[in-house]
Parts: sequence; structure tokens; C-alpha cells
Amino acid sequence: MKLLVVEDEIKTGEYLKQGLSEAGFIVDLCHNGLDGHHLAMTEHYDLLILDVMLPDVDGWRILKSLREAGKEVPVLFLTARDSIDDRVKGLELGADDYLVKPFAFSELLARVRTLLRRSASPATELSLSVADLELDLARHRASRNGKRIHLTAKEFALLELLVRRQGEVLPRSLIASQVWDMNFDSDTNVIDVAIRRLRGKIDDNFELKLIQTVRGMGYMIDTPDENT
Amino acid sequence: MGRPTSLTLRLTLLFSAVATVVLLAFGWIIERSIEEHFVLGDTQELKVIGQAVERSLSTLQSNHDLTRVKQRFDDILVGHHGPLLYISDASGKPLYSSPGPDLSLIPLPSPNQLSQGDIQQWSDSQHNYLVHIQQIAGQNNGPYTVIIAVATDFHLHFLSSFHRTLWLMVIGGIVAMGLMGWIAVRHGHRPLHQMVDQISRISANALTTRLAPDTVPIELTELALSFNELLQRMEESFIRLANFSADIAHELRTPVTNLMTQTQVALSQARNTDEYQEILYSNVEEYERMALMISDMLFLAKADNGLTPPNVEEIDLESEVHNLFDFYEALAEEQQVSLKLEGSSRVMGDRLMLRRALNNLISNAIRHTAPNNTVTVQLSTQNKKTLIAVQNPGVPLAAEHLSKVFDRFYRVDPSRQRSSEGAGLGLAIAKSIVEAHGGEITVISDDTSTQFLVSLPVSTVLPAIS
Repeated sequence: MKLLVVEDEIKTGEYLKQGLSEAGFIVDLCHNGLDGHHLAMTEHYDLLILDVMLPDVDGWRILKSLREAGKEVPVLFLTARDSIDDRVKGLELGADDYLVKPFAFSELLARVRTLLRRSASPATELSLSVADLELDLARHRASRNGKRIHLTAKEFALLELLVRRQGEVLPRSLIASQVWDMNFDSDTNVIDVAIRRLRGKIDDNFELKLIQTVRGMGYMIDTPDENT
Repeated sequence: MGRPTSLTLRLTLLFSAVATVVLLAFGWIIERSIEEHFVLGDTQELKVIGQAVERSLSTLQSNHDLTRVKQRFDDILVGHHGPLLYISDASGKPLYSSPGPDLSLIPLPSPNQLSQGDIQQWSDSQHNYLVHIQQIAGQNNGPYTVIIAVATDFHLHFLSSFHRTLWLMVIGGIVAMGLMGWIAVRHGHRPLHQMVDQISRISANALTTRLAPDTVPIELTELALSFNELLQRMEESFIRLANFSADIAHELRTPVTNLMTQTQVALSQARNTDEYQEILYSNVEEYERMALMISDMLFLAKADNGLTPPNVEEIDLESEVHNLFDFYEALAEEQQVSLKLEGSSRVMGDRLMLRRALNNLISNAIRHTAPNNTVTVQLSTQNKKTLIAVQNPGVPLAAEHLSKVFDRFYRVDPSRQRSSEGAGLGLAIAKSIVEAHGGEITVISDDTSTQFLVSLPVSTVLPAIS
């Protein structure tokens, strides 16, 4: 997967590139709008991360040119200004997501993966599994090692999210937003408690612990093979 | 449209205009009456002469009386200001003609007017006259036509010079009035200038200054009062802003100090990877807290600039509260706090914003509830208002806290500041959201419980659906 990052803040740009590269993406980085515009129009990328405020050609302009040229590549905007007008403008121009600084890198990574997955084929599978954990999506049932595990609706939704995105670190804010539709910075304790309870049901009686805490970033489910 | 003309200029022009009209009218009346007075005097004189001439003519019986009568005429004329006399008999032959212009040149009026006596203006090449023409009956060759003329040059001269003087006076008067008007206006504006002086001395550092409304003219009292009110509001928001900035600085100092100390200590000697990792983790947690505080503060800053709910729609509060209870279920259970919802109601508003406000209230209630107690949310519609009451049992809040719980960064218990309570902005955010929806939020506390009461106004409320 090849990404283009256009960010005029040198330090931010470099760290984004490093982080995304280490997450397994190929990343091109531009520090100004003109180069970014040129690359976006001429090269093929799977996703663009654009800073709105650029000294020369701003993010809006790049997006506009892209859409006018019929390029449907997903675009994620980064901005220091969080106003409704900006959001509306971004959506009207065809931006796919919008992240306000300061943001957690894990949040950015999760959103990037969401966008990339969205542009791929939608998930239609009926069951998911990690190691000996199995989720029956149609009947909302979870079992481990063949043994049925009783979960509440929200616990199942939480587990489904983790399993669907196994191997990815999911920040608490993303979990709150995806499972409970809390799209603002809420009490993160709630997520910790919910995970703890889910662990009690999923992991406590088993040798192999699936749910992992990535300190400072969030939670993830990972298979032992990839984990070692 | 430019800006309106200056008051001084306006008033000065107005004064001048009034002066012009008054002086012109006055001048015109004076001129008229003087002129009338002159004409009246001249006519009077002509009539006196006419009567004398008539008396003399009545003594004229035959032609040999003529010399005597002519002598009488001469005598009559001497007593007046150089009048001219011309008399002709019925045949038109001149009987008497005083020296000077030939009065026989004056056209005679109709016989009817002639018999009654006629007054008219006449002028020859050099002079202007007022002329009296009358036919007088007489025994010898009568009736006689008598023409008497007095020169009016002197009067006309006087009038025209008076006219000139009058004009000069009018112009001078207008200028003088304008000037005096200007001075009066400037003088009259002095209290205003004094006010401006006072106002211009007020700076951000001296917002406590107030104008004294009883030292300004009565017309400016209202202005002074509303200016004072403006100052009051500015001072309040300025203080709030200053406190807010101080709070921000204070709130940021602690995490920054932690980060700096921790990092510097870490760098002071070589450590193993695990230790470095530990430090970075701890840093990330600190950063996250700061980022959360920043975004909350930005939200409040936007709210200060007038927050309007972006997407107003009908919201079923019952299901919103249910969702929030779902969210908090695990946390509440762990703290052995139960959640209870009573009633239902609907409201028009922005879903995300109201959810956030409710979230903050519920989260606050759970945090302040001791184990084995219940947080109750009551929804109702009363007096066309949607009421949301979030109640939790607990120790009473002191009055000093009650008035401040919605203040930014305010924490009832300062020692709990860095624990689970977040930045202390939750209730401030809830308040600004409720206010953006035109509602109000209050807190009451008694011996057994604390209750936050949100009331959203009728304009945004739909009738509750049972």
C-alpha cells in the first residue's frame, strides 16, 4: 500500500512517515503543496494524507484537482482548525475523513486502515476467528475452543471489532466511537473496564491470552504466531 | 452612504438657516412698512395741497381774479417740499404751471377717476413723482383739471440705501448667528468631549473605571449608563478570560513539569530498553491528557464565540440515555453503582452535542457516587419544557461549590485533580451545550443527594410520545 503525506511541518511529516512506514506502508512525503499536488496528480497512491493549511497550494486545492481529474483515491485531512465550516467544506469537496490536531498516532493509523479497507471490497463474511476464538456473526455467538461464551450485545460488538481488525492497535477513542457511537473524547476508563470484563470472559480461563494492551496506544487482538 | 455630517456642522447650518429666514422676513416687513409710510405721507401732503388749491379756485370768479389766485397758488406751494402744480381750465388751456417739469405730459385717467381724484406714480427723465390729479368744479371756465406732483426721489433714495443696509445686516446677522451657533454647539458638546476623554482613559487594565451618570447632562445619562453596562460585561468576560488563561497555564504546568523532569532524569544516565519504553509510555499518557484538555478548551472557546447546534433534529432522550447507560454499564457495575432511568421525553437539538452534555453529567454522577447507590436520570416534560434531572446520592455540596461547579477547571476536591476526573471541563462543556440550545442548567444539593437539572425551552421541544 502506497501513501502520500503532504505536511509542511517538517517534524510532524517525518514522524508520520516513520510511523506509517513501520506500520508497513510505503510512504512518500512532501513538505509543500506544489510538490504534493504534482505527485498526487501524476503518481498512483492508495491513500492521501493532506494537511489543510499549506503555505502554497492548500489541501482543499489538491483535493479539488484530484476529484476534477476523476481520481477517487481516499483522502484524509489533517487540520489544526476544527470548525464545522471546514468539515462541511472538506466533505463537499469529497474528503473521506478529517482528523484534528493534536491526534494520537494510533488514531491516525486506525483511520487510515479503515479508509483503505472501505475502498476494498466490503466484508460479507459470516464468521470470524482468531486462534481458537470463533465469532458467529449471524447469530451473535462467540465460542472459544468450542466452548460457548456468553457476551452482552456490546461485548460482542467490541470483540467483533477487535477480531475484524486483528493485529491492529485500536485506540480507545476509536473503540468508543465504533462500539458505542461516542464520537467525542469521553471517559477512557469506560473502555478499560469494558476490555477488562471482556478479558474475563474471553481470556481468563485460557492459557493463550488474545486481548493485548498496547500501552499508551490502545488494545488489540493478535494471533500468537504474529505476536512472537 | 458615507457617514452622517458632523453634528456641529449640522447645527451650525440649521442656526444659519433659521437666522436667514427670520432676518429676511423681518427686513421685508420693515421695508414694506417704511415704504408704506412714505407713500402715506406723500399722499397726505398731496391732499392738503389739493384742498388748498380747491379753496383758492373756488374764489376765482372771473379772469381778472387770476393774478391774485396765481399768487395764492405760489403761497400754497411755498409751505411744502417743492411740489409742482399744474392747472388747466375746461378748454385745456393752462391756468397755472409751476416752474419745472411740464406736468401736462402726464396722461389723464378716466373721467370717473378724474372726478374722484387719482393718485399715480410718474417719472420724467430725471425724477420720480407721486401725482394727484383731480377735476375741480369752478365758475370761471370750469371745471379745472388740477395736477399736483411731489418728488419722491428722496424717499426712493432712502429706501434703496436702507435696502442695501438691510441686506448687509441680514448677511452679517446670518454669519454672526452661524458663528455663535457654532460656538454654542461646541460649548454644548463639552460634556460629550469630557465623556470621551474619560472613556479614552479606560484601558484593558482599568476596566473597573465607571462614568458617573450624575455628572453628565440629563440627555447623556442614558448613554453613560449603557456604557457602564458595556464596561461591566467587558470586565466580567475579561476577568473570565484572564482566569481562564491563568487556569490553562496552571493546568499545563503540571504535565509539562512531569514530562520534563521524567525525560531529563531518564537521560541523565544510560538505561535499558525497558526503562526507556516505560518512560515513553508514561509520556504518551501525559500527552493524551494534554491533547484531551486542548480539544475540550477549544470546544469551550468556540462556545464562547456563540455555539449554534449544527444539525437540529428530533431526539429521543430516552434512547440516548439508554445508549449512555450501555456505555457506562461496565464501569458502573465495577464501582457497584446502579443506573436508573425514569420517564421519557423528546427534544429538538444536535444529537452529538446533547449526547456529549448528557455523557458529561452521567459520568460526573457516577464518579461522585459511593458504592451500592443509584444514579437516577429523570426525563419529563413540564410547562412546555423538557427537563432532564441527573441525580446521585452523596454528601451535600457546600454553597461555595454550587455556584462554581460549572466554572472551567473547577474541582470540588482539589486533591482529586489528577485522578479520574479529567481536566475539570466536563460540566463547563455541558453548560455551554445546554445554553447553545437555549436552555439552562442548575445544580441543587441537599443532605442526601446532588441533582443537576437541565431545562430545554419550549421552542425546541416536541410533545412527549407515550
